[in-house]
Amino acid sequence: MSAGVIGDSPLFVLEYALRVLRVLVLLSLWRMILEGRPSSGGMPLGSVLTYTLISEVFAQQLQLRTTLRDAFWEGTLVIRFLRPMGLVRQLSAEMLGRWAIHFALFSLPLLAVTPLLGVDPRPASPTAAALFGLSLTLAVAVGLALDVFFGALTVALEQPVWVIDYLRGAVGTLLSGSLLPLAYYPWGLGDAFSWLPFAAMAWAPLAIFTGTGDATVLLASQVVWAVALWPIADWLWRANREKLVGYGG
Amino acid sequence: MAEHVRRVLRLWQLYATMDLLYLARGPQVAITFYVSDFVTGVAAVTATFLLAERFDGIGPWTRAQILFLLGYSLLVRALIDIFFNYNLAFISRRIGRGQLDHVLIQPQPLWMALLTEGFAPVTGSGMLLPGLGLLIWSGRELQLAVSPAWWGLFAANVLASIAIVLAFEYTWGSLAFWAPRAAEEINSDSWRLLTQLAPFPLDGLAGLALVSLVTIVPVGLVAWYPSRALLGIDSPVWAAELALTLSAVAFAALAVWLFTRGLRHYGHTGSTRYLDYGHRR
Repeated sequence: MSAGVIGDSPLFVLEYALRVLRVLVLLSLWRMILEGRPSSGGMPLGSVLTYTLISEVFAQQLQLRTTLRDAFWEGTLVIRFLRPMGLVRQLSAEMLGRWAIHFALFSLPLLAVTPLLGVDPRPASPTAAALFGLSLTLAVAVGLALDVFFGALTVALEQPVWVIDYLRGAVGTLLSGSLLPLAYYPWGLGDAFSWLPFAAMAWAPLAIFTGTGDATVLLASQVVWAVALWPIADWLWRANREKLVGYGG
Repeated sequence: MAEHVRRVLRLWQLYATMDLLYLARGPQVAITFYVSDFVTGVAAVTATFLLAERFDGIGPWTRAQILFLLGYSLLVRALIDIFFNYNLAFISRRIGRGQLDHVLIQPQPLWMALLTEGFAPVTGSGMLLPGLGLLIWSGRELQLAVSPAWWGLFAANVLASIAIVLAFEYTWGSLAFWAPRAAEEINSDSWRLLTQLAPFPLDGLAGLALVSLVTIVPVGLVAWYPSRALLGIDSPVWAAELALTLSAVAFAALAVWLFTRGLRHYGHTGSTRYLDYGHRR
């Protein structure tokens, strides 16, 4: 079924083109900034390049989106409620299917061409690789909770789906560290942002992968956000269930 | 000609009133739309701004020049939002959804409808203030000696950048004439291609990558290249201006050619997106 995403819209190639160009531009940007500045603080150039590349390879996991917004837009929530399966499980299943397709068609080829880009895609150490797996799982848990939370917020505020979605995307990209490592934010902003839930989605796993941050602290912050966000998201969703009728529920 | 201009102005006035009334439904709607655009625009340029602040510039660009680049990028985006809103810049949606018929049945030329119908000076202006703010801020820091000729170049560059973005959108969007369902959302991707990367300086790229970003996907022509010319980073300026103008003309010609071919095809087939009883396929 997930392969149908590609069959329905063969223009996914444009999205891939954007992602490749984004990597190329960001890599060139970091080289332009950091080459000849060995003591610029934050992270060494090699780690920043790895961070940028791995961020794109795992972009769908680190900037998680389910099909909830599409269900709002298409007014198909009611169909999902009729299925003998919980809504979050349905959304997760669809999401995992899409991930598998795009990981095979985009992420793996991107990893394969890293020597051409002059980037070492390996983690900082075997321990970092193992902890990255754990951290990525926690990042997905936090991302999923945030997706449900923002979905419920859209309904609660009775706002157009895309307004909240664009807002979340714009702010999330900045606060999560998925575009730039938080270690390079000025005025101590990175330190402040690293305590927010968005950082648990991208900064934490990527910092662990590149051996930049204290893995114990990063994992602990992810666990705290996962535990705190799920009850809040669940409560907000249930509290606004009746309003769902306006979105096809 | 004069009659056309008068009519365009009258239509802009009409659409501006309607846009204001749309927002005047209540403070919640107004605040949501305005804040959403404002935050989205500011967030789009913040990453580059933070890097420039952290390293006091990026490559050959000083911090103040980066501010100018970001302001220019936001201004181009804001003007497109103001003049080509309501999916006029995302023409694939109108074509793909069969909504072009709504325009074709109007007693006015198609170009006039496309030029006026998306005028949204209120709901589309969320990015205008941050864009102008950045330009004024950078202008003061750079102590730009602006002459009437410089203002002329600035206006010409902004127009060229807008023309390139719209031409790129219409070129890709025209595919929806032949594949209405598959290409309905193609302009979302083409828009993201241009706007996400526009606020970054591309000086670190070379060879095929850089050539691609000023030709196939003209990201570099949206803000980077015109800003270089306006700030005197490129010399001689006249060569850069000529290149930008010729690029805008070439992109526009390609878009018009493809759009009119698509329109001819549409004239034979019409929209296939609606069933006889009105539901969309």
